[in-house]
Amino acid sequence: MISLSHTKKIDVLWVLLMLITLVNALIAETAEPGLVITLLIATAIGIKGRVVVDHFMELKNAHPLIRISMQVYFYVIPGMMVLVYLFPETIARWTQL
Amino acid sequence: MSVPSIAIESDTRRQHYECIPPAGRVPGNKAIWVGIFSEMTEFALMFVVYFLAKAHNPELFNEGPTRLNTFAGTLNTLILLSSSFFVARAMIAIRQNRRQVCAHWLWLAIMAGCAYLMVKYWEFQWNGAQGIHVKTDLFTGVYYYMTFNHFLHVGWGSFAVLWVLMRLKSGAYTADKHEGLESVAVYWHMIDLAWIVIFPLLYVFR
Repeated sequence: MISLSHTKKIDVLWVLLMLITLVNALIAETAEPGLVITLLIATAIGIKGRVVVDHFMELKNAHPLIRISMQVYFYVIPGMMVLVYLFPETIARWTQL
Repeated sequence: MSVPSIAIESDTRRQHYECIPPAGRVPGNKAIWVGIFSEMTEFALMFVVYFLAKAHNPELFNEGPTRLNTFAGTLNTLILLSSSFFVARAMIAIRQNRRQVCAHWLWLAIMAGCAYLMVKYWEFQWNGAQGIHVKTDLFTGVYYYMTFNHFLHVGWGSFAVLWVLMRLKSGAYTADKHEGLESVAVYWHMIDLAWIVIFPLLYVFR
């Protein structure tokens, strides 16, 4: 297994983030909406969020309260996205004023 | 020398050489984390508003992203992610006590912040020409509320990075003492994190 230095890892992750963004843009321009596309977009949010939180913000080894709070954000928001795609009528009914 | 102490020493050396912060610490200071969690909560509320509005108006929110300028949104995402990368490299440089290198990375981050603001301003102008205004419909209202709010964050975040750059130039930060610089760095990353969610919600998700 290749072990990268911290600096090299940051460089590689930056390239990865750029690529994920470009794929997202391609999806926005070409793909028909669907569950698979929604899952891809939600996964992309999760991966990008975790990369920035863990490596750019350097929270991977930080105080657990801060690290876990920030990481959870990038599970909850993509999860909500999928729920809104799957059950829009139910959510609309539950939140009717 | 016993084997465990060699292992600990080697680990410490690696941390020092690669500039990895020690485990279990609070990056920056506690005050900035109060600010960051407040801001993340504010953005989370906006995302909840978006999700509820989408659930109640699926057709409008499915069609909404097709009216927006995907190129501008993508370009700004690349710019902000790069700015986060520049700030991360600035933090590595200051821990190596390479203040000149740190300053270069911070300048790049400020330039990226300015580029973001210019692209967003151009996008708002483009929207106007297409008839996309705050009160056009619920989707554009949510779009403007989220993106203008984020626009302001990038604006004052850029000033904050400029401030720590000036402090760096005045010799305020060293390899061992750079709490203020790190506080602004984590705040800047938070601004990037908000956009990581905003971009797919408004420009991609249908």
